[in-house]
Amino acid sequence: MEKDKALFEIVENGPLKVTGPFKLTGSDGKSIETDKEIFLCRCGHSSAKPFCDGSHRTKGFAG
Amino acid sequence: MMDSNDRDYTNGEITVFWRPAKCIHATTCYKELIDVFNPRKRPWVNMEGAPTKRIIEVVEKCPTQALYWRYNKDLSADPAYQPKPKEETETFTEIKVMKDGPLLLKGSFRVLNPDGSELKTMRLTSLCRCGSSRNMPFCDGNHRITGFSG
Repeated sequence: MEKDKALFEIVENGPLKVTGPFKLTGSDGKSIETDKEIFLCRCGHSSAKPFCDGSHRTKGFAG
Repeated sequence: MMDSNDRDYTNGEITVFWRPAKCIHATTCYKELIDVFNPRKRPWVNMEGAPTKRIIEVVEKCPTQALYWRYNKDLSADPAYQPKPKEETETFTEIKVMKDGPLLLKGSFRVLNPDGSELKTMRLTSLCRCGSSRNMPFCDGNHRITGFSG
């Protein structure tokens, strides 16, 4: 069923919202415990990578 | 009476019906045919584990009708029959953060644009994390040129 799938929503000029069944693994290969709903950085400027910290606004990210 | 724990299993030729409320744990099914009826496995019935003839023999030994069977060709002729959904294990989409690179998504998932339209994706998809892809939201490898770190 559609609602059983993970959903990735592109936020305009902002992060990637993730909901549904997912598992997140960091760049070190270790799994990262998260909330059920997360926002992942898409602009490259977050100080809290892989998560969004709102830097896209100050950096004027478009995409 | 239908129950939410009821399950149907098919091998394309016959369907075996499992009605757990009727089971008295006579254990006939798995003592006779563990390759098909294995209570330690999920799904516990593996219709590929034995030939149809052998499955029918064992199902008919069930003393309580907790297990019974029908030919699929007869079922499809019965308008009252509604196949039950398969027993599904929850499938997690794997999100892997690639060092100095994109997000790698693996599994069965959906990606929506800001306007709510759905993007066509593959079972393995990489999304830009560096902010400089010329093919947003996908990765185009530009992180290597811009020297993205994170």
